[in-house]
Amino acid sequence: MEKIKKINVLYMLGYIFGPIIISAICFGLSAAFFPKGNMAVILIMGPTFLSVGWWCFAGNFIFKKTRKKILAKFEEEKFKSDQTFFGRGCTVYVDEKKGKIGLVFFWNPKDTFIIPASRVERAWVDDGKSGAGFMAGSSRVSFLFIVDGVKVRVDTFTSNQRWRMDSDHILTGISKADMMVEVIEKAKKASK
Amino acid sequence: MALFKKMRALFKDNGCNECYADMDVEKKQLFMFPAMVDHYTRHEEAEYYLNNLIPVSKKADIPTGVYACGAIKYTCPKCGHKMVKLSIFLPVRDQEKYEDAIFFNNGEVDDLFK
Repeated sequence: MEKIKKINVLYMLGYIFGPIIISAICFGLSAAFFPKGNMAVILIMGPTFLSVGWWCFAGNFIFKKTRKKILAKFEEEKFKSDQTFFGRGCTVYVDEKKGKIGLVFFWNPKDTFIIPASRVERAWVDDGKSGAGFMAGSSRVSFLFIVDGVKVRVDTFTSNQRWRMDSDHILTGISKADMMVEVIEKAKKASK
Repeated sequence: MALFKKMRALFKDNGCNECYADMDVEKKQLFMFPAMVDHYTRHEEAEYYLNNLIPVSKKADIPTGVYACGAIKYTCPKCGHKMVKLSIFLPVRDQEKYEDAIFFNNGEVDDLFK
C-alpha cells in the first residue's frame, strides 16, 4: 500500500537551491576566467534570468504535467473525476461513484496517488475563524482530510487580509470546502 | 416628486415601474439554479430560466455548493402591472451570499409559477 507523501524533499531542495548553485558556479567561472567581455555578461545575466524564470514558471508547469499524468492514470483505471479541486499546493480528484480519490502535490510531482476513499479517516472544514462577536474574521478557509495518518490541507480561500465571516470571499470558501467534504464523504461510503 | 418616486422604484425591489406604487407579493417559489459555486454566469434571457430552474420546497433540498434562485411574482394594486424578480444566491450553511437579481416585466417567466 502506497503511503501518501506530500513533499519530495530532494525535489523541493533542488527546485529552490538548484538555480542558486548553478548561478554561483557561473558567477565563480566568470570571476575566475572571464572578468570582462561578452562571456562575463552571459555568465552573470543568463543564470540570473533563467533562475527567476524557473522559480516563477517551472513549478506550475511541472505541476500541470503531473495533473495530466494523473488524469491519464484515472482514465486507464476506468475512473471518472466527478469533482476536481485545484488547490494551491494540491489537486484533489474524486470519483464519487467508484469511491476513489486522486491526489497530486506541488512539492511531489514525481508521485501521483489514486487511493480508495475508505482510506480517508476523517474529513472536515476549517474556516479559520478567530476573534469574537463583530471582530470575528478569517484569512484562510480550507478543507482537510487524514489519509493513513497523513493530514492533507487544501485551501479554498487565502488572503493576506482578514475578512469578516459573512464576507463574500469567506462564504465562497466555506461553500467550496463544505462541498468537497461532502463529496469525499460520499466517495468514502461508495468505497466501503 | 415624480423623480423621488422613480428613484424609489429603482432602489426598492417592489416598486412599480409604471405608477411607482409598492407592489404586492403574489407568489413565491424557490428553485435550484444549475451552477456550482464560483461558476455563476449572468443570463438575461427568460428562456434559460424556464428551461433550467428546478423547483425545490426548501433550501436544504439544494446540494452544497449549488446556487439557489428565489422567484417572487409582484402585482401592482394600483395599475395591475406584474413583475417577476429572480434573486440568485448561494446558500452557505445558515447564510446566503447574494449574487445577482434579474427582473422580468413582461410576463416572460410567468410559467415558472405554474
